[in-house]
This record gives sequence, C-alpha cells and structure tokens, in this order.
Amino acid sequence: MKIELRNVSRSFGDVQALADVSLEVREGETLGLVGPNGSGKTTLLKILVGLIPPTSGEIAVNGRVPAPAEWPRLRTRIGYMPERVSFYDNLSAAEVLSFYADLKGVSGERVGPMLDRVGLKAARDRRVGGYSKGMRQRLNLAQALLADPDLLVLDEPTSGLDPVAIREFYDFLSGIRRERAVSVVHSSHILAEIEGRIDRAAILKDGRLKAAGSLEELRSSLNIPLRLILSLRGTAGDLGAALAAEGAYDLVAGNGTIEASVSAGNKMRVMSVLMHRESEIRDLTIREPSLEEVFFGVD
Amino acid sequence: MASTRAVWAIAHKEFSDRLRSRWVLITAVGFTLFSILIAYFGTAPIGVAGFQGFSLTVLSLLSLATYFIPLLALVLGGGVMADERDRGTLDLLLACPVTPGEIVAGKYLGLALALIGATAGGFGAAGAVLVLRMGFAGIGSYVLFTGNAVLLGLVFLGFAFLLSVFIRERSKVMAVSVFLWLVLALLYDLGLIGLLILSGGRVPEGVFAGLLAANPIDLFRLLGFLAVGETKMFVGLAAVDFPPALTWPVLLGVFLSWIAAPLAIAAAVFRRRAGEGFIS
Repeated sequence: MKIELRNVSRSFGDVQALADVSLEVREGETLGLVGPNGSGKTTLLKILVGLIPPTSGEIAVNGRVPAPAEWPRLRTRIGYMPERVSFYDNLSAAEVLSFYADLKGVSGERVGPMLDRVGLKAARDRRVGGYSKGMRQRLNLAQALLADPDLLVLDEPTSGLDPVAIREFYDFLSGIRRERAVSVVHSSHILAEIEGRIDRAAILKDGRLKAAGSLEELRSSLNIPLRLILSLRGTAGDLGAALAAEGAYDLVAGNGTIEASVSAGNKMRVMSVLMHRESEIRDLTIREPSLEEVFFGVD
Repeated sequence: MASTRAVWAIAHKEFSDRLRSRWVLITAVGFTLFSILIAYFGTAPIGVAGFQGFSLTVLSLLSLATYFIPLLALVLGGGVMADERDRGTLDLLLACPVTPGEIVAGKYLGLALALIGATAGGFGAAGAVLVLRMGFAGIGSYVLFTGNAVLLGLVFLGFAFLLSVFIRERSKVMAVSVFLWLVLALLYDLGLIGLLILSGGRVPEGVFAGLLAANPIDLFRLLGFLAVGETKMFVGLAAVDFPPALTWPVLLGVFLSWIAAPLAIAAAVFRRRAGEGFIS
C-alpha cells in the first residue's frame, strides 16, 4: 500500500499540529517518523489511519484520494498500534483478539495462531488487566496484524519496554517483513533505537516536515560531516596540515591520534591524502553521522 | 461486509460486561424484591397490607418505576463513550473498519439488552411470584406495565447516549443526567400544575396533551394508567382527565419516537465529531 500526504495541515483550535506536510509512504518500506514530543507525530499517524481528517491538504491511497465514507473499508488493510496501549482489562487476550477479529471481519480461527505467534499462547486465557507492559504491547501488535494489513502504523511501539522486550519486538517485526511486503510507519523519539531498522526517516519539528529520506540522503542533503579518527604510527607531523589543506576541519591532535571532521564533498580528497600517507597510519575509523546528528543538524 | 458482525460484536461485549459485573442480576433482583414489597405494602397507607391484585400493584409500581428506571438507564449509558475514551480504547475502536454509527448502534443494542434483561427479568420474576399468590386475574395490566417500563428505560438510555457524545467527561455526564432526571421526573409536573393553576384550568386540550407527550415520564404514566383502565391521571398531586387525543397508538408512537430521536441525534453527532477528528 502506498500512501501520500499532500500539503497536509491540521490544527486543533489555535494549535497548529501539522503544517503543510507532504510525505510519501512507499510500498514495502519502513518509514521512521522522528521528532520531539509535541512535534505532530501522533497527529500525522492518526491522519494516516483516517482517524483525523486534515484541516487542509489531502491523502492519496495508491494514487487515489478516498472519500471519507471509504475509510472504514480501507482500515481493513491498515494495522494500527496506538501509543497508549489499552484494552478491556476484564477480558482475556483471546477474548480481546476475538473482539477485534469480529470488528475487522477476520475469522476467529486466526486468534489462536496469532496469540501463539506473539508469544501469548500460555497467557491467552488470563485477564489482560494482569498483563505486563511487554505483554500488552505484544497483544497490541497482534491486534494490528490480525487482518494481514498492507500498512502497519506504529505509534511509539517500544515506549516503556525494557531492552530485551525492545529487541524481541524488532525481531518479530523483521520476521513479519521477511514474510510479506508490508509497509511500516513507525514513530519514535529514541533515534538510536530505530537507526538501522528503518529504510527512510521523516523528521518532524513543530508540526513541520523538516527532512525526509534515507539516512544517506539526509546526511548528503544536510551536508553533515563525517568524523575521521586516525591512529598514527608516530607523531602527527604535518599530516594535520595536509588534511586541513584538503578541507578537513575541527582537527584535534592527541597522543598519536588525529581526529577531524570532513564534509561529504571533501571526503574523497581527504581519503586520497590518507592513501598516499598510508605508512604513517596504524588505523582509521570513519564515523558516519548518526540519525541523532542528522536530527540535530536539521533546523 | 463486517458491519453487522461488528455491531453484534460491540453489542455482545457491552451485554457481556454487564452480565460479568452482575449488573443485570443485581438490578433484576432489586426490581423483583421492590415489586413484591410494593405489591404487599403498596396499600399500607390506607391501612391494608397484603396482595391486592395486579391493577393496584401496577399503580403502586408506577411511582417506583417513574423515579428508578430513568435514573438507572442514565447511569448505565452515561459513561458509554467517556469510559472508552478514558480507558484509551476509543482510538483503537475507531481505527477498526467500523463506522461511528455502527459503534453507537452496537453499544446501544448491548446496553439495551442488559436493561431489557434486568427490567423484564426482575418484573417477570416478581410477576411469577404474584401469580402464585393472586392467580392470573388482571395479569395483562402487569405485562403491559413491564413492557412500558422497558420502553421508559430505552428512552432514557437514548438520552444517556446523547449526553455521552456531547460531553467528554463521565462526571459531567452524570451531573447533567441527574439534573435531566430531576427536571423530567419532578420539576416538569410541578410546572404543569403551576400552568393549570395560573390559567385557571383553561389550557387548551391539545396544548396540554402536547405538554404531556413532551415528557417521556408522563407518557409512561399515561400508558400505565391506561393499562389498568384509569381515565384520570395524576400530575404531581393533581388528578386530571386524560386528553382524548392521547390514545394507545398515539402514546406508543410518541414513546417510540422518544427512543429513536435521541439515539439518531447521538449517532449523527458522534459521526460528525469522529469525522472531524474530535472524538479520539
């Protein structure tokens, strides 16, 4: 499923939650929606699910703008995990999933295997009110996956989970994506966590889309420098000056080391210097800008 | 299409919740006990205690039902949307392939079944006990009363839904519900008496009939009195003749309209608010 937001704005009274956002969710990709709290991530996700209509702009699904009355039917193809994980605490996991199976028009026979799949088979008849946060999150994912959606919309899905549960969650998600081409939109404000787990990132700040693209594209477009860390065989000599002559900057010479920042445009020239002076260098580490650095590099 | 299945799923969940919480059972038992006590002691103020037949029992029960059933229905349905919102389950519900109208329909159906079960079950059980003591003579009026009581509950359940979609917080819904109950159960009739006194009894019959029909609690009373063959009804402390225009079919039609109208408005408002994104 491909979804496009075209110049989408949304306000709540005087508060402008989203302003002129144009963004595409491509078929089969994982898009990370990153931004600080209050940046409009949840509003954008709710617009993607059709829970909130935009104040202006439009949403196209597979190239066509659906009428409001079409959204309930479209939602059979969208799995949504809201940020706040809440279920009917008086029901068991099996009853909760059976309820959502009925709402989604899915056979009740899928409930058992789905609970098994998310690791809740043993606890299927326990009341959800007694579940841990991790178990609730797994049940949340199970309800989102129940109808084999083409698009998964996950709002801060690992919020409040411990590191083991976070890893399990991403492993499970990877398993799903290996099986079928499901598009995933995944919001988070923990940048290190989603780095390496997304195909593209969209950066929201104050309701505005500041940048969108793969990490490489973002680094390139924002011209965020990489960091070179050289371990030398001897003293630095004039190596620092040679690097600076080719555009390296922020040089820090230490005891047998040199660190320098290099813009993407000067990267090959600086590398060329290093190749010629290979004998002086014991080791070289190139640290690409992280998603966090990209995030802070965006105005 | 999942719509019918979805409506039933929501209805089943609401009904099951009231069964699990024993709301249906407790309410039914309450109705049964009250009914038997009133049937026995209802004529105590005139110095007679004992089972006096279904007609007198119905007349005594009318007062109980007038106050109790609306309040019960308002409390039952008042938090229907606020609870979903407070619990955080409303977003997930709206993100499913169901329309807001289906959500309202499913929830109303489920709570209506709980209310019908409690009312019909409670009065039915009491009726069975009364039949054992008094026989079947006049039981028709009691059956009509039970059906009438169910309708009254459904009307106020609709009011509760209406308040629930307009007001976001449960506590505010409850406060407005109590005020609404106070107006319709007590103050409205005082107003009618005042009108009769001030006009010297010269209120046109059609206007008076319309004013009675405008209050579902008065409709309930009228139907109750008709069920036992009374031709006068009590408005507050005053006894007035039945307006001839208010025949059985008219009363029933107006009563059913009182069920349909608030529910339809509630569904429309919920649909509009959900469409604008103000529900989640």
